[in-house]
Parts: sequence; structure tokens; C-alpha cells
Amino acid sequence: MSDEAVISLENVTFTYEGDVVALRDLNLTARKGEFVVVLGANGAGKSTLCYLLSGIVPHIYGGRRRGHVSVVGADPWDEPLYSTSQRCGVLMQDPEVQLFMPTLRSELAFGPSNLGVPRREILDRAQDALSLVRLEGLEEHNPRDLSGGQKQRAALASILTMGPQVLVLDEPTSQLDPLGRWEVVEAIERLKQKGDLTIIMTTHETEEILRLADQVLVLDRGQAALQGPPGAVFNQPSKLDAAGVKTPGLMLIESTLVGGSEQADESTSDEIGRVDLTLSGVAAQIREEVEGGRLVVRPEALSRPQPAEVDGPVVLEARGLTFEYPGPPPVVALRNIDVKIRRGEFVGIIGQNGSGKSTLVKCFVGLLRSKEGDVLFKGESIRGLSVGEIARRIGLVLQNPDYQLFTSYSHEEVRFGLRNVGVPEDEIEERVQEALASVELSEEADLFPFRLSFGDRRKLAVAATMALGPEVLIMDEPTTAQDHRGRYQLADLAERFHETKGGTVLMITHDVDLIARYAHRLIVLHEGRVLLDGPTAEVFGEVEELKKSFVVPPVAAQVSAELSSVGVPRRVMTLEDLYQVLEPRHSGEGA
Amino acid sequence: MQPVFRYTHVDTPVHRLHPLVKMAYVLLTLVLVMYPIKETDMPVLLIWLGFSALLWILARVELRRFATLMKILLGTFVFLLLIQGLTYRGGDTPLIVLGHLKLWEADLGVITKEGVWFGLVLCVRILVATSSLPLFVMTTSTSEIMTAMGKLRVPNTLTFMFVSALSFTNLIFEMWNSIVDAQKLRAFDIDSMNIFQKAFRAYIPIITPLILLLFRKANDFQIAMETKGFGAPIEPTEIETLSARWVDYLWLLLIVAVFVICTVLKFTR
Repeated sequence: MSDEAVISLENVTFTYEGDVVALRDLNLTARKGEFVVVLGANGAGKSTLCYLLSGIVPHIYGGRRRGHVSVVGADPWDEPLYSTSQRCGVLMQDPEVQLFMPTLRSELAFGPSNLGVPRREILDRAQDALSLVRLEGLEEHNPRDLSGGQKQRAALASILTMGPQVLVLDEPTSQLDPLGRWEVVEAIERLKQKGDLTIIMTTHETEEILRLADQVLVLDRGQAALQGPPGAVFNQPSKLDAAGVKTPGLMLIESTLVGGSEQADESTSDEIGRVDLTLSGVAAQIREEVEGGRLVVRPEALSRPQPAEVDGPVVLEARGLTFEYPGPPPVVALRNIDVKIRRGEFVGIIGQNGSGKSTLVKCFVGLLRSKEGDVLFKGESIRGLSVGEIARRIGLVLQNPDYQLFTSYSHEEVRFGLRNVGVPEDEIEERVQEALASVELSEEADLFPFRLSFGDRRKLAVAATMALGPEVLIMDEPTTAQDHRGRYQLADLAERFHETKGGTVLMITHDVDLIARYAHRLIVLHEGRVLLDGPTAEVFGEVEELKKSFVVPPVAAQVSAELSSVGVPRRVMTLEDLYQVLEPRHSGEGA
Repeated sequence: MQPVFRYTHVDTPVHRLHPLVKMAYVLLTLVLVMYPIKETDMPVLLIWLGFSALLWILARVELRRFATLMKILLGTFVFLLLIQGLTYRGGDTPLIVLGHLKLWEADLGVITKEGVWFGLVLCVRILVATSSLPLFVMTTSTSEIMTAMGKLRVPNTLTFMFVSALSFTNLIFEMWNSIVDAQKLRAFDIDSMNIFQKAFRAYIPIITPLILLLFRKANDFQIAMETKGFGAPIEPTEIETLSARWVDYLWLLLIVAVFVICTVLKFTR
């Protein structure tokens, strides 16, 4: 890494039109080859920082700026966007909106050809970029037909062909499944290894960037809450928590069980503060602590109940369900699925994109009707019921809240469904109040739904669904593009529905830590079939089978598996479980 | 609802055809339907429609796409048949008598045979006009369209506006479907409503999120394009190359020949 500062921000404050202050007094210096990770809750100012560096602000989004910004020696404020784009490339969250050409080859050529780069050089750059993101051989494919991870890598390659010195990555993995995330992070890792690019990456997935980060900036309401080498930043979990950022599980485990504290811990980081933690390394340290008598293993202290069969009646059933999308080409999304969901279960559904998760739940609510097999609600086929009739029994909250909000006021949004199912007006009012209160949006009742934050829009969609009084609540990927805090708020809503109303919950997600905490049962779908189905801990124990679907068990479960030789039970799924089982030996306790 | 304007990569003679030849077909179609209309135009329109149908078949376009086009046009057809049936000036053979409402020399209560026929001619003309562009975009990739428009010296910005409009059409269909699905989940089923219910109740809750989301998507597209140098005052590099084969010239000859026959027939009858 050179000492040359490629990015320099000095006391930068940025205010959007409408007087929304997005960044306050921000300072940041990044050198050539440095990898800077920017963390923060939704709305913390991460994207604004990306826009500021790449010239999107002020050329597309207007506002006022104070302070000094320099990107590769120029201020993006003072030059046209196409000039900045030659030095600083930006990759956004959603790969779909970044790909508009019919073939990957033309997609990669789009940027440099706009800048008049000679044809031969464009083709050479495209070849290099393709090989870097490992998409060789797909040049003639339509980028829209690629998988999620491939699309994002294609978008990344299309930026690399511009020949930038700075790469700004705005939550590049937030909309991807585990395989897609792995593919994109691997490509980013290769770029970092090349060492000639300065990379700024925003993310919510702290585990992903733990090994890569040279510098971490944590934003909280536009201000730098924490800034420095990852070893120092990640050793302050309470401050990270206050900023809505997840502390990487391994760091937490190490600092809690191996005598770390909320101070920079030299053992976890190298001389410049990079974190160098591995799962087996942390497990070995814990094993040493146990063998040295400083930690005691108490399996009996684990309060997580032993998995037991829920003995309620079957509320929802897929019987021999096969579903094929007509295409072209036709795609078989579900293959002879047999699943029974019992009343009162909290079921997690995981699997790769395209494994059939969303298709299955859409069949459950009648949005898709299969030609083979059947869906039964309380033993009766749903074939004769309309989607609206089913919605009173089974509520489905779709992934994107913005497709689910149709009215001018938040309270109207909840009322919309209730009117359609013919609930009397006086009862509607009561249910609206109750639903909005349940998602803590009573004060926003008169707001235009699209003015709510992304997390609140999702909560409003949940409230509108729950107001219909379903017995089964299905949430389709509620964690996508959601920050750490928001994810748990939504899962808490589902849990409250489960606990207080005795409701049945099905949750599709890629977040294994979250599903380990909430779900009693886990179904893993793979290529349209049920790969695994059973109690959560048991399913996460099937490591080899899970690999087929690129699912990695939660960190706590992986650590506990490594520690089974010292008596840590395999039922450990969450960090709390681990802390219950592994206790520091108190003074005076015998060995 | 399926997107009509979506390119599907299939290896057919129409897909392989030089984009400029296909553009000539679209252009000549537009010229044909812009000729002043007469009630005797039906054979001319049917010849061109038959020629278009041949191209649709050769391009192996699925029937459901054509069905979608018909579904979109159905309301217009019914409206035209009714209005022309009731108001056509040269109509004097009653077909259905609904009552009598004299307005100057016309009787608005009577659907006439001549009026219905003229309505039919108009319907076929609309079908001719609307079947050429979907065929062109379903069988020509965006890069071919862009290269062809570049060959015609169409400014880069205009070309991209056209191409973006095409991809937005697909996006609108996708969003429409997603919103309709979400509404069904709250017991609001637009597909089961009649035309009046749709007009008064259904479209507003769909159009509000659709427009807002389209603005957002358009913004995202703008960011993606401009951060890739789009709009730079620089002559863009031409990457794709197009070459014409003898079969392309043959097709062009055929298209022009059919057009000339139609034109001669139209003005000599």
C-alpha cells in the first residue's frame, strides 16, 4: 500500500435539498490500494458518502456541501460526471438497474465506448475484467439471464472496464444469496490483492469484510461514530450496537470468552490493526481456556429447549407439489414437494435463489397454481379459494415493500385490505389502530407511506397483512437490504405474532444467525426439492448436506461444533447459547 | 400479463435478418397505414397482415405474445366497431336497431352494416400498425438496434432513449405484475373485475406505486448510465459491426415488392 492519499475528505458536511443533513464533519483519508469499509444503520449516510465520492452528488442529487473533497486529485463537485467516472467507479446495491445492454460483451463495452476509448483497448479491458470476476465464456449471454451473483459481478466488470483508480461499492452483496455473496466477495478480494485500486465498500455484513478491511468507518446519523483499524473498531461492541452495526460474531466470541475487553486487543489484529481471526483459531483459544480451567463447560445451563415435535394440528400442507414456470425456456421450480406445517410452528425456509422458496410460498397463498399436487389449508384444498379469501387465513409479506403500498396514508394502507374483505367500518378503525401500534407506527398514521424509511415501509406492509387476522404469517426475505437492527425488529414482530396470538410463522431468509435465533424448525430447499427438514439445530448440524446449498451454519454453531470434544453441546445455535454453556470459572470454584 | 416487447434469442431467419431490413419493414408498415383510409382497403390491409403473420410464424413467436397484443387492443376494437357502426356516414343498411336518435342526417340508434365494415377495416389497420414494431423488437437485440440506428446517423442519445424505453416497457410489465400480486394478497383482485370496476376502482391503487417506482428506477438507471460516461461530449466508439448478406437483400426486395403491390392495389381500386 502506498502513502499517497487517493481519497481525502476534510470536515465534510452535506445537506440534501430540503435541509436533510446526511453527513456531518466527516474526515477520511484513503491511500492507494487501501480497503475502507463503511458501516452504519440504514439512513446513516453511507450511500451519500458513495455519491459524494463518485460525483453523483451534486450532478444527479443536489444539495449543499461544506469542507474539502478530493478523489484522485480532483474534486467531483468541480468537474462533469463523465470525468469523475474515469477515475472513480461506483457499484450499487441492485444489479438489475446497472445492466441495460443485451449481451455481457456490450455491457462491458458501454462505459469505455462512451468515453471514446479505442475499440481494441475496450476489448482487452473487457477480457481482463471478465477474467477477474470469473465470467469468461458468458460474453454473449444477456446479463439479465445471469444469476444474482453473476449479475453483480457483471456490473462490477462493467465498471472495471472504465479503468478507475477508486472503486466505490455501495452494499454490493445486500440483495444476494449466500453463493452470490461469496462470489462477489471473492471477486472483491482478488481486486484488493491486485493492490492498485482504492476500494470503499459499504455493507451490513461485517463478517464478510473482516479479513479484507484496512480501515473501518462507522457512521451514525451522518457522523463518524468510530473510525480506525478494524481491530480497534470491532473491539467496541457496545458502540457498534449503538450505531446499529453488528459486531462480527468471532470478535464477540473472542472478546467475551477469551478475556478480551472493549479495548483494542492486540491478539486479534496485526501490526496495522487488521483482524486476523479464524474460526478454528478462536475455537482453539477457547479450548485452551477450558483446558486451563479458566472456562467451565455447563451443557445443563443451556436454556434452549430440546427440539420437540410440535403436536398441533397440520395447518398448511403441500402434497406432491410440482410447479413449472412456462418460460421460455420452461423452468421446473418445485419438484414433488411434501411439507406439513403444524399450528404454532416457527419455520425457517432457506436455500439458494432459484431453489423454489418464493415459488413454494406463492403456491401456499394461491398466487401460483400448480398443475400437479395440491396445497391444503387445515386439510382442505385451496383450489376453490381466491387469493383474497386465502389472504384472510394465510398472510404473505413480499420481499419488496414498495410493491405493497398503494394508498396515500399509512392508516389507509392498513384499511385497504380490511375493506376488501368486508370488515365492518367500526371494527376496521379498531384493527387499524391495533395493527399500526403493533409495528410502532401509530405516530406515522397520517404520513404518505413512501415517505417512511425503508424499514418502516416494510413494517407497514407487515401491519397491513397482519390486520387481516391470518392464522399463518409468511415473510419472504424480510432481511434483504435491511440493516442489522431492522432485521431483528421484523423478526421480533413475527415472534410476537407467534407468541401472543399462537400464530404460525414461515420465514424465508438468508440470514442464518437470525433464523437460528427464532425458528424452531428449518426447511432447506435445493433445486426445487426439500434437501433438509427438521429442528433448526439438527439441520445446521448437517454441514455436508448444507454445503450443497451453499448454506453455512451460524458462527456460534460452527464454534460449538469445533468444541464438541470438550463437551459443548451441538444444540448451541446463538452467541447467547454459547455464553450460557461456557462460563468463566469464578474464584473459589474447584477445577 | 406478459411483456410483449421483449427480445428472445432464437435462431430463426427473422432473427438473423439485418436490422436495417427489419427497420425498413416497420417503416413501410407505418407508411401503409398512414395512407388515407377507405372502406375498400380491406384486401390491401389483409395482404400486409398476412405478410406480417408469415414473419411472426417464421420468427417462432409464441402465440401467447400475440394473444397479449390482442388483449391490449380488444377494448379499442370493440369501441371502434360500436362507434363506426352507430355513426358511419355512408351507413344505410341496418344491422341492429337499438332505437332511433336522429342527429342531423344520421340515426345514432342504428348499427349499420357499412359502419361495422368500416370499423373492421380500422381494426385491421390498427392490427397491421401494431404488429410490426413488437415483431421488430422481439427479434432484434438491443445492440443490433443501437448499431443499426448508428448506421442511420441517429444521434446516440435518441438511440439510447428508444432502447431505454423498450427496457422500461418490460420493467413496467414486471412491476405491474408484482403490484397486482401484492394487491391480491390484500383481497383486491383486478383480474376478476369488470371493465367499469377496473376504470373506477382498480387503476389508481396500481398507478400510484407504479409511477413512483418508475421514477425511482429511472433515477437509478440515470445514475448507472451517467457514471459510465453516458452523455459525454465525445464521439462514442463503435463496437458492434453489422454486415449484410445476399439473403438480406432478397428479403428487402420481397418487403418492398409486397409494399408496392399493396400501394398499387390501394390506389387503383
